[in-house]
Amino acid sequence: MHDLIQRLVARLPLDFRVLYGQFLLRVIDLEALSIQADVPGFLGQFAGVLIMLSLVHSVVTYVGYVYITEAHERMAFLLHIQHYLIATTMLVVGLATVISWDATFPDRRDVMVLSSLPIAPRTILLAKMAASIGVLGLAVFTLNVASGLMLPLILGAQPGPVLGQFQSIPAWWFALIAASAFLYGSVLTVQGFTALLLPRRIFLRLSAFLQLAAFGVFLGVYFVQPSLTTPAALAAPGNQWILASSPSYWFWAMFNQMNGTLPAQLFWVAHRAWIWLGLAVSGAVLSMMLCYLRTMKKTVEEPDLVPGAGSFSWVPRVGNSLQNAVAQFSIRSLTRCRQHRVAYAFYLAFVFALAFSLLRTETAATAPIPLSLVLLAPTFLMMLFAVMGLRNVFSLPISLTANWVLRTTQVRPPEKYVAATRATLLLFAVAPAWLLSAALSLRFRPVIQVAGHLVVLALVGCILAEVCLIGFYKVPFTCSFLPGRANVQLTFWGSVMVMFTVFIPCMQFEQSALHEANKFGFLVCILVGCALALFAYNDHRGKSAVIHFEEIPDEVITTLKLNA
Amino acid sequence: MLEVQHLYRSYRGIPAIQDVSFKVAGGEVVGFLGPNGAGKSTTVKIITGMLRPNEGRVLFEGHDITEAMVSYRATLGYVPEEAHLYPYMSGLEYLQLVGRLRGLGEALIATKATRLLTLLNLESWQHSPISTYSKGMRQRVLIAAALLHDPKLLIFDEPLSGLDVVSGRLFKDLLELLAAEGKAVVYISHVLEVVEQVCNRVIVIAKGRVLADAQPGDLTRLMSLPNLESVFAQLVKQQDTRSIAQEMVEVMQIGNA
Repeated sequence: MHDLIQRLVARLPLDFRVLYGQFLLRVIDLEALSIQADVPGFLGQFAGVLIMLSLVHSVVTYVGYVYITEAHERMAFLLHIQHYLIATTMLVVGLATVISWDATFPDRRDVMVLSSLPIAPRTILLAKMAASIGVLGLAVFTLNVASGLMLPLILGAQPGPVLGQFQSIPAWWFALIAASAFLYGSVLTVQGFTALLLPRRIFLRLSAFLQLAAFGVFLGVYFVQPSLTTPAALAAPGNQWILASSPSYWFWAMFNQMNGTLPAQLFWVAHRAWIWLGLAVSGAVLSMMLCYLRTMKKTVEEPDLVPGAGSFSWVPRVGNSLQNAVAQFSIRSLTRCRQHRVAYAFYLAFVFALAFSLLRTETAATAPIPLSLVLLAPTFLMMLFAVMGLRNVFSLPISLTANWVLRTTQVRPPEKYVAATRATLLLFAVAPAWLLSAALSLRFRPVIQVAGHLVVLALVGCILAEVCLIGFYKVPFTCSFLPGRANVQLTFWGSVMVMFTVFIPCMQFEQSALHEANKFGFLVCILVGCALALFAYNDHRGKSAVIHFEEIPDEVITTLKLNA
Repeated sequence: MLEVQHLYRSYRGIPAIQDVSFKVAGGEVVGFLGPNGAGKSTTVKIITGMLRPNEGRVLFEGHDITEAMVSYRATLGYVPEEAHLYPYMSGLEYLQLVGRLRGLGEALIATKATRLLTLLNLESWQHSPISTYSKGMRQRVLIAAALLHDPKLLIFDEPLSGLDVVSGRLFKDLLELLAAEGKAVVYISHVLEVVEQVCNRVIVIAKGRVLADAQPGDLTRLMSLPNLESVFAQLVKQQDTRSIAQEMVEVMQIGNA
């Protein structure tokens, strides 16, 4: 098999193989990783997380199937799990598409390097597309490696498919691949036609917004769309708009159509999947073919130098000049660098998903809502995601080679830099999350308990900010973290464990404390003590710390394997 | 003002500079010359405090800079060889960042940054991202950033790189005025004609060692050579460039029928 693949690969043109190898490495921006990071190891760990998720999905599917004995409940469970797995696969593909947003288009570097070489534009296009598809394919495969067998094996044993598992397994994988192709093709179609129709400068600006919009849409749809888990719910006239507008239901219907289990009255949903799949794929091929030559020409022809015409760039001023410098540097880096924006948007998406769910609860209520975990849990999680997200994004370097200026202008002691980073975290993460929580608390009663919760939330925000500063003797965005060396698996599953063992009991304690003045006083004292202790610790450690900057990336030697 | 004493620095056991010593007084423009790999960048990195020497020390106004690095940096202006800047910032924002990091007041930063950008012909570009700047424009931003806080010591590493003729002339006039103001200036360049014109003294370094430290006129007179370029070629034992070029053409043609 290996020899066969080798022989097939060897038949591909050499320039395509060389470019494919290069583009595959660049689908994920290496600048985001540490200069000492182990990139294949890092990607391997992410693949490991997806495989573990797939194992969890398959175990849940099996356990649910075995333990649910009621026929209608079992059917509802299987319907739900089918839709959930398709929607999750589409979400992962969507996120991968967002992360590799520009990977299919030649950038200025590609054009400048490759246009002087005897390489046809179509080879560049095909190599770029192959690299993106390779990464997306790997994500789909690893996410479904176990559940993609377990679920169709169970479904194949149900009445419906004529050929049993021989029908359900290929049908399931075809539906997953079709859903992924639809999503990727849709994004490419939009990008391709936008690049074709707009001047390159405007396209680049719009593309950045489109990327964030796509990110929001993928996450928003995933978290907000309702789950229809019974045949009655699927057939209900009031729910037809959901089926008509939700692509995950289209591909769910496509699978069931191929599996022979789709009710005749829902064939129109499956037809929608086929039609949109065709449109997305043909649209992607057409738009990419049309725009590619033009995009490359535009990249070359676009003038390098265009004078600026005034600019509005107000950023709030914070504290002393160093705090002001670090805060403004951070917010400008965050808002102007696409990669950092997308990374933070990932965390903010959770914040807004939680906020949206809370808002939905409030709008559905006809009377003031009594304070409960319904408010406590989402607001704490919003604070957690906002602060930890910003702290994690701080670790993505912007331009290591430009850091020399921070070293040569370091005219104040290191603890002042720690204080400046603290101010930035408080201003751009703790304060917005707290304000959003306060706004979302307006419908909850009694007011005194809500106010108490907001006090606790503010203190927790301060503690989280201090925790983030432990060992962080850097200016945000000036040093890289070591994703290749960090254990993504351990971090992911550790966070899940902490969530269940620490977070939920703490919520319950706070809820009881809000009903008792003494207990509440004790809680506030503990939190204030923790915040002050952490503040003193960071300040003390900061005095003897050396502010760390990374400057010189290791030289990367790339083997083109031209003699292969 | 600046005194470099017996600097030694090695990388993985290979010495980059050995026993490098020289002084720069206030009001002096000192040219620092050497071929590629001579140790100029290592010396400059040590003087700017970005690198620590294995041996030797740098004194500024009689104090070891490692003992008072923070106050030393406050008096230092530096233009590096490569114009590495944060590309997503505008020229004005970059100067604001540098001014704030140096602790200047907002009003002072606004006044100085705007005027420097205007004087350096960057007024209409001040709000454009640096990523759209040409090499010469980036170089001018670096020069403005180095002057913003009125430093006592200025280090210019290939400052004319990418500058047009007018900007180059402006820079040469600026060097003279800075010296007249009592600033100490270290000027690193490969353009020997300019060094000959603007520097009071020249230090020639090769293979990590200081080979000469004298006024340009003294060097040419002592070595009985017509100009600084000839002195430099003789001191660093420059290879016969003509014969190397000839050999390169021959290599290029290997395999031709």
